[in-house]
Amino acid sequence: MAGRGKLIAVIGDEDTVTGFLLGGIGELNKNRHPNFLVVEKDTTINEIEDTFRQFLNRDDIGIILINQYIAEMVRHALDAHQHSIPAVLEIPSKEHPYDAAKDSIQSAQGQGHVHC
Amino acid sequence: MEDLVCPLAVLPTAGGDREGGGSGSDCVSMAALDLRAELDSLLLQLLGDLEELEGKRAVLNARVEEGWLSLAKARYAMGTKSVGPLQYASHMEPQVCLQASEAQEGLQKFKVVRSGVHAPEEVGPREAALRRRKGPTKTPEPQSSEAPRDPLNWFGILVPHSLRQAQASFWDGLQLAADIASLQNRIDWGRSQLRGLQEKLKQLEPGAA
Repeated sequence: MAGRGKLIAVIGDEDTVTGFLLGGIGELNKNRHPNFLVVEKDTTINEIEDTFRQFLNRDDIGIILINQYIAEMVRHALDAHQHSIPAVLEIPSKEHPYDAAKDSIQSAQGQGHVHC
Repeated sequence: MEDLVCPLAVLPTAGGDREGGGSGSDCVSMAALDLRAELDSLLLQLLGDLEELEGKRAVLNARVEEGWLSLAKARYAMGTKSVGPLQYASHMEPQVCLQASEAQEGLQKFKVVRSGVHAPEEVGPREAALRRRKGPTKTPEPQSSEAPRDPLNWFGILVPHSLRQAQASFWDGLQLAADIASLQNRIDWGRSQLRGLQEKLKQLEPGAA
């Protein structure tokens, strides 16, 4: 594992997770927890939050990709994350286009006005 | 949140004499000028980074949307239930990893790396005589357990072209995700540097704000 680099985790709907797993980020074996979570209609907010926190606490994950509408459900957990690693990226979903105003990271970076 | 004060508008006038010149205040003025120049440069870089971030994000969103469309086409060709979590392998090894490097203190940069890249096959013969007769002998290498299996194989041997296109779109998306993560880190780092320089400037010129 050491020297292999960090993983990319994904929390999203079926299509998003399937797509990124096709891209080759998936890790699943008996000894380790998976680095992905498919959020379905019956997935509870607690499960999403627990998984997100697990990903944050793992030192082998460098980026967490999360659909924005799912990020909205656990916004408080995202806002509390202040470290540079793992980086959290919000991505759109099929039913919910991306809204930069809702993105915790991007709105924090864009905040502040330049006075000249 | 906090306001970014653009130092361009508050440059001291040339030859402006503050409270009774002297080498001390000249040094302070020079230091302040240098700081302002540094602030200007940092601010311009930040604005450039923000613009680049917005551009990359738009491209990432577009790639992900292309990927969904290709997945939908693949489902149409293979069947609705043929492309989804039911086909995920029970054992997965990541083909793609992230290399994080620290360019400067607190500044992380990410790069996507494909693992399981095979070294070029050595065609050179082990025995020259055999080469002339039968061509290079290829000793069957043990099937690499380290080489991760292509996730496309989860969905069958002959997969439609749309599924390969989906894989390509999401693979591009991963590259962009790494770039965006690097940019976000750089912007955060730049903002903290900016705050530090503004504090120093306030200490040098408490009156100017």
